[in-house]
Formats: sequence, C-alpha cells, structure tokens
Amino acid sequence: MISVADLLVDDRLPSNYFASDVYIRGTLELGLLENRRGDRLLALPDALMKSIVAGLNQETGQATRYVLRNCGLWWGKNFYARFCEELSEYYQKGVADLSMVEFVKALQECWRTHGWGALIVNTDYQMKGFLVIEVQNSPFTAHAIQPNQPSGALECGVLQAFFSQLTGRDLTCVQISCESLGADRNRFVLGLENRLEAAEALVQEGQPHAAIMQMLTQ
Amino acid sequence: MNPKLEALFDEPEKGYLQADELNALSQFVSSLPERISFYQRLRNEEVTLMQSVADALQQQFPQESEAKLKRSIQNGILMVRYAAMAMLTDDIDMVTKRLESWLPEIVEAYDTKAIDIALYQLIKTQFAGRFSSTQMALLIPGLDAAERLIAGGQLTSESAEAITSESLVGLF
Repeated sequence: MISVADLLVDDRLPSNYFASDVYIRGTLELGLLENRRGDRLLALPDALMKSIVAGLNQETGQATRYVLRNCGLWWGKNFYARFCEELSEYYQKGVADLSMVEFVKALQECWRTHGWGALIVNTDYQMKGFLVIEVQNSPFTAHAIQPNQPSGALECGVLQAFFSQLTGRDLTCVQISCESLGADRNRFVLGLENRLEAAEALVQEGQPHAAIMQMLTQ
Repeated sequence: MNPKLEALFDEPEKGYLQADELNALSQFVSSLPERISFYQRLRNEEVTLMQSVADALQQQFPQESEAKLKRSIQNGILMVRYAAMAMLTDDIDMVTKRLESWLPEIVEAYDTKAIDIALYQLIKTQFAGRFSSTQMALLIPGLDAAERLIAGGQLTSESAEAITSESLVGLF
C-alpha cells in the first residue's frame, strides 16, 4: 500500500519554482530587483541591447558575433552553476537525482519568467546525436548583427555552455534559424564539433533549418 | 488575495473607494473566518483525507505501477494544497497562474493523465462526504482549475514527452 505519510516525510512537494509571481520580487526601496532567494535581477531595456550591438559593430566590425558568443559562454557557465544551485536547494537533492523532465521543465520556466522567451527542447534528432533548442520571442535576437545572418550569438554561447556542462561533453552550438530573419523562432542545434562542421557554412548560404538538419543527419 | 480586491488598493490617488468596492472587501473579510477554519481542517486532516483517496485509487488501478500511482497522488496532494490556498485567499486563478505552463507537461511526461483524472473524481466525492456544501463550494473552483489543466487540450509543444531520465545526458 502507498503511504501518504511517507510521501510527505519532509512535508513539502516541489512544484513550479520559477512561477513568475513568486520568483520575481525585490527590495525596491533600495533599487534592487531580486529573485526568490534574494539574488539580484536586472531588467535590461531593449534599447541597451540595441546599443550593445551597435557599439560592438562600430568598434569591432565583423567581430561582434564572436564577442557576444564569448559573453554567452561566460554567462552560460555561471548560469548553469546558479541554476543547479537553485534547483537543488529547492528540491533538496542534487541535480543529478532530479528527473530530466523536471530539469528541462524548470529550465523552460526559468527562461520564460526571466523574459528570455519560450524555450523548447526538441529531441526529434536525438537518435542522430543532435539536440535542437527552439526559442520563441527571444529578446536577444531582436536586433540584427549583420545583414542576412542569424543574430543569436549570445544565446548560442549560453546554450552551448549550459548543455556542455549538463551533458559533460564539449558541445558546439550553431544557430540555424533566426527571428530577426523572419523565422517563426530561433533554432539552435547542439552537437559534437566534428558533426557540426558543415552547419556554419550552410547557415551562411542561407539554407532553411529543415534542409540543414536533413544534411547534418544524412 | 483575489486580484480584483488587490487592485482596489492600487490607486489611492484616484480617489476614495466607492460603496460597491468597499462591499466587495467586506464580503471577503466576513468570509475569512470560515475560510480559515476550513483551511485548518484541510491542513490537519491532510494525511487522513489523502490516504483514503490513495487507497481508493490503488483499488481502482490494481495493475498500475506503484511509481506512477505515487507520482499521481503526489500531484493530487499538491493540487489540493494549491486549491486550499486559492480558497483561503479567494484567488481562484492562482492555480492556473502558477501551474498552467508547468503541470500539463509534467503530467504528459510521466503519463499519469488517466490516473490523475480518476484521482480528482475521488478527491471530489470523498471530500464532499466530509465537508459541508458551503465549504465545497469554496474549494471546488481551485480543484476544477487544476483538473482543467490536467485534462485540458493538446499540448502546444511535444517537448517533454520524449525526454526520459537518461536521454539528454546519454545523447552525445
């Protein structure tokens, strides 16, 4: 028989940690927006995102996407550590003991609540060794970096660092569709570097994401 | 608190509250003792109430794996807690607001929908036998909101269902 008392040993049942009305708070009289643990949050104005891209373009020219990608990698490394810390504190167990469903769901809710868009982990290409992350309404690709090129270098970096640490493998991330180019969402394909060598060139040629995935998985 | 009531306090600069607004506030305040005492009963009797629901559920699904039943019962306990909080604060949207983007995919991923739906029926019938109809009227909206999330339409994404425990880590 299932004992309810046993299910309630520590009297708490984790649910949606990142629910926006609980997660976002602040000590606003001190000018601090915070999350539910008291870590500081920042509201980034869209104009600032635009200025960063414009400033980098002016100062570095072609290097903007590499700089942003690098920023993303740093951000992703720290974000992964903090995300895991928050989750394991909330669930009162190590992240390794969480089910992948709970982990991915938490990541989606985290993304949404921070206003970074609606993230989907697409596992259609899992058997072929690729993971596709889709993000709708991304604030990071609202401003084009270079004409006719995807502009999600920052997101690419953060996802690459995050999933590399999660899987314990050195993954590469290539953006294969971009909202700034009229796509319905940003798509990022993650995989081992040698499997993704061709992807960057296909993106440069302007191939649609479905065609890129088909060529990668042939 | 009920967002409509909360909104009453938002703009003192607009002027004093009108009679109908103050009435709404009085109504909520006068219903508070009943809400609090019902909430206390739900809290104190949680284990007994949910154990009896759990027993009935196991009888109804004798072939089902214990892990799945446990998962479903855990969700049930969680939803009753949310419904109780919604009842206490007269905020029936709370359940939907906090859980609509989370619960349906969790249910889908663990494949407990059919069990969960049966569980809600058991909760409603068993609670109705123990609590007054006035009390049930306060609790039901929250329970129904949770049930709608579980039974609700198709998921917009297929993301969660294909993800099993090992799949991501073992992917590359």
